[in-house]
Amino acid sequence: MTLWTHYHTPSSLAEAHALLQSYAGRARVIAGGTDLLLDIRHGHLTPPEALIDITKIPEMCSLIQEGDDLVIGAGVTHTRIVTDALIAARATCLVESCGVVGGPQVRNVGTLGGNVAHALPAGDGTTSLVALDAWADVIVRDERRWLPIRELFLGPGQSLLDPTRDLLVRFRIPLAQEREGSAFKRIMRPQGVALPILGCAAWVRLDSSGERCEDIRLCIGPVDRVPVRAEQVEAAVRGQPIDPATVDAAVAAGRTSLSPRTSKYRATASYRQEMIDVLLRRVLPLAAERARTGQAVPEGVGME
Amino acid sequence: MEDRPAWIGRSLHRVDAVGKVTGKTPFPGDIDLEGQLWMKIRFSDRVHARIKSIDTSRAEAYPGVIRVFTARDVPVNEYGLGIPDQPVLCGPGSGKEGADIVRCIADQVALVVAETEEAAAAALPLIEIEYEDLPAVCDVLAAMQDGAPQLHAGYPNNILCHYQIRHGDIEAGWRQAEVVVEGEYRTGYQEHAYLQPEAGLGFIDEEGRVAVIVAGQWVHKDREQVAHALGLPEEQIRIIYPAIGGAFGGREDMSVQIVLALAAWKLQRPVKIIWSREESIIGHHKRHPTIIRAKWGATRDGRVVAAEATIIGDSGAYAYTTPKVMGNAHLMVCGPYAIPNAKVDTYGVYTNNIPSGAFRGFGGPQACFAAEGQMNKLADALGMDPVELRLRNVLRDDSITVVGTPLPPNVTLDKVLAEGAAQSGYWNQGADGWRRAPAPPPSGPNRRRGIGVAIGFKNVGFSFGAPEQNWATVEIHGNAEIERVVVRQAGADVGQGAHTVFRQMAAEGVGVPIELVELVGHDTAATGNSGSSSASRMTFMAGNAIKGAAELALQKWREEERPAIATYQYVPPKTTPYDRETGRSNPNFAYGYMAQIADVEVDVETGHITVMRVISAHDVGKAINPQLIVGQVEGAVVQAVGYAVMENLISQDGRILNPYLSTYLIPTVLDIPHEVKPVILEYADPRGPWGARGMAEMPFITLAPAVAAALHDATGIWFDQIPLTPERVVMTLRQHGIDAL
Ligand SMILES: Cc1cc2nc3c(=O)[nH]c(=O)nc-3n(C[C@H](O)[C@H](O)[C@H](O)COP(=O)(O)OP(=O)(O)OC[C@H]3O[C@@H](n4cnc5c(N)ncnc54)[C@H](O)[C@@H]3O)c2cc1C
Repeated sequence: MTLWTHYHTPSSLAEAHALLQSYAGRARVIAGGTDLLLDIRHGHLTPPEALIDITKIPEMCSLIQEGDDLVIGAGVTHTRIVTDALIAARATCLVESCGVVGGPQVRNVGTLGGNVAHALPAGDGTTSLVALDAWADVIVRDERRWLPIRELFLGPGQSLLDPTRDLLVRFRIPLAQEREGSAFKRIMRPQGVALPILGCAAWVRLDSSGERCEDIRLCIGPVDRVPVRAEQVEAAVRGQPIDPATVDAAVAAGRTSLSPRTSKYRATASYRQEMIDVLLRRVLPLAAERARTGQAVPEGVGME
Repeated sequence: MEDRPAWIGRSLHRVDAVGKVTGKTPFPGDIDLEGQLWMKIRFSDRVHARIKSIDTSRAEAYPGVIRVFTARDVPVNEYGLGIPDQPVLCGPGSGKEGADIVRCIADQVALVVAETEEAAAAALPLIEIEYEDLPAVCDVLAAMQDGAPQLHAGYPNNILCHYQIRHGDIEAGWRQAEVVVEGEYRTGYQEHAYLQPEAGLGFIDEEGRVAVIVAGQWVHKDREQVAHALGLPEEQIRIIYPAIGGAFGGREDMSVQIVLALAAWKLQRPVKIIWSREESIIGHHKRHPTIIRAKWGATRDGRVVAAEATIIGDSGAYAYTTPKVMGNAHLMVCGPYAIPNAKVDTYGVYTNNIPSGAFRGFGGPQACFAAEGQMNKLADALGMDPVELRLRNVLRDDSITVVGTPLPPNVTLDKVLAEGAAQSGYWNQGADGWRRAPAPPPSGPNRRRGIGVAIGFKNVGFSFGAPEQNWATVEIHGNAEIERVVVRQAGADVGQGAHTVFRQMAAEGVGVPIELVELVGHDTAATGNSGSSSASRMTFMAGNAIKGAAELALQKWREEERPAIATYQYVPPKTTPYDRETGRSNPNFAYGYMAQIADVEVDVETGHITVMRVISAHDVGKAINPQLIVGQVEGAVVQAVGYAVMENLISQDGRILNPYLSTYLIPTVLDIPHEVKPVILEYADPRGPWGARGMAEMPFITLAPAVAAALHDATGIWFDQIPLTPERVVMTLRQHGIDAL
């Protein structure tokens, strides 16, 4: 089976963009290819004439701290994220989510940008980026701009980006400050070969006394057609001490506001509903603990 | 030399190891011939329908397409290992009655042969098939009802096979019983998921034979089935296996063999095919899903006095090996115990699901899940240690089985169980019998941990009177000294290491260094009939044949024959089929015995199960190559963890919803037990070569009930259905009031 005819490895954004334009819809961006090549093989996608590999573009592969922000190239692999000490300490949930993607081989080539561009409602990297309130640097319809990450997603597998023309360049995430922490957990066999049954990332900021939750962002998926924030659950926690009673309230809010669906072979809605409870009970106290202590050691990453 | 064998009992490296790990060894899909064409198969689009017409004109007009084959091109349009109930190609015009009906989505309807694989694939959907749907039945219980859609003439209520056991006086047994336990056990499908999906190459060989390079389990049986369908004498067909990428029973039945031969023969050109993983999962049979109802009774002092069971197995649309698989389950559903009164009914039932067939254990895993579930429930009900209870009931040399006859000599179940229990570290034998220590503490607050045990027996070799034999030839070349030994043995090396062991046994038999031994393997043009690599039989059968041939060849060598060539057919003691009424029989000529202990953790919040440790004890008679035995134990345990815990093939209205390894999850390295401890025991089988017994299926069979028992130990709940998917476990825990924290 011919998966592509031409393969290009541009070394600059401008070159990549020009190549895409010259193929006028007949080329497609490839990063690690772990989603794309399967889509082509399974016939979900007709083989494009050309693949434009973005992993040799310096801007796409950089990891740079800019003040209290971190800028991550879309072509950075899961393995690089997992082994980065700064991310582990100050964007812990991202390490925890990239650390459970596939197995080592998939993490060595699969990228954060590919995870986001694939636009599934439970991509592990995506779930954490949403909880971290990331922004995305994109070239859409020939125009380069920064967008809040959630604005990228239109439907399952569908993003604002036209993958035959547009480019996802970088992400910007705020690094955890004092009294801030994050955590990610998912429900899945230890080594997933596919999307999780359910994933959940939480970011919390405690108030100056360190007792109450001043702010929270929580992403659980899949519970909708796109990655979403669990806003009613957040509301149940915001302003409260993160104690068992608040976690109970969060679970209750999850029960009423989130309605996961049955997927044919992954899980039923009722199991997912049950697992929302479990994930909230695991993730909220952990994120709060990290915020309180300023200490974070990622859990569940890779081959333990 | 007799007492200190030179080559038997040594962990020699596998002869195929370097070639395989360096990628040099060609598997069927790696082999190309000049001028070869490519084939794609159009499978059925319906689960049950009559094909009214097939229009191939658009497909044939597609650029690069050479020919489209349909039913009318197949000379004798039928095949099947036991019963030829499946058309090679479904559709009108073949003259075979009923061949115009598709009965499941695994049915093959048309073959496109083209210059390239792409062209063949592109032309496939252009074949226009007009179907007339027929009522379908995909539920095994519904299929047995009066008035259910009938799949095959001559099988009322779709009952393909029914066996009985009527042993002792079951009513008297129930009157004696002081404790009775019951269960309805359900087991699921399992996909073989071998590394290499089906692939092959048909061509005309230098002697004008229709030849097929393919991966299978028995070259001569493949040849017989190809010859039958093509209407040619067997001598005009040749089957060659290069390296085989795993089989596990999944290559016992035809997949691409007949259609490749047909196309190569008709076109007189090489024709190649490689199935995708999806085609493989849909296109070959699965392990039988079963429903087993069981009721056992025992006296207070722990003697099982009555056992009653009904097994219903879903055969799918065709017979494949169902009558044999169900026959095996029938024998094993009362466990390896001396039970004086038993009543068993076993059914194999046609449905419009994809076919079920051979898979490592061959009906044993399903039956053992029920039998050992019953034994564990009895131990619990009697308040007796499960090892102790088993030792009071296991079959011994003088016991009578539920089919009215003793086992072959040297039954070692008691020793295997005692050794396994002792070496597990969990059990101790005290003055008052066997006692277990509590399970180690779980690794987290949301987890519980438990220990479970199960034992079993499994036949080695073909059962129930089926013809059983193995041919080997040994050639000794040289003049004054032996320079070279050639052993011809067709037994399939499906990855278990048979070719290594054959050489070891030939070197031992002739008494030469192994470097002098050459093996001529699976090619019908060069070897005699070996029977299949299945039923844990190949070391036993080929070993006896090689040993016999080596002795004869040595004798000729001593008599100065140059080269000294001898051919020997090993024929084991006869077996007999079940009596229709009582089931009385001499079912098998050899057995392997096993005991397993599983240490299992369950996350009661998520339902995820982690198998921490497995102790797997086996009487292998004689470990010809201990390293290969360890490999079989570890591999089987991992495969059985998949069966017990993870693998969930979902069939809905006859269609497979998850025909990918991304949705049908099998164990990866992080899912497997943290430790597998093999306990290898060597109590010789007097009939085995150098005392060897078969062992390759045994470590699979007992794992699921051992895990279920451990789960009961951890939670107090019996889980009678596998796979133990997180969802099933959580729902069951919640029903019993075990909640998330
Ligand atoms: C065995 C296996 C296991 C997996 N397990 C998991 C898992 O546990 N969790 C999980 O979330 N995912 C999993 N995945 C999915 C996949 O590996 C991840 O989503 C990965 O991050 C995708 O990245 P990639 O670089 O390989 O993307 P690619 O396949 O290269 O691209 C994916 C899509 O994004 C587009 N694209 C990629 N980069 C850009 C860019 N810079 N700009 C514009 N468009 C772009 C491509 O055109 C394509 O449409 C698994 C995949 C496999 C094969």
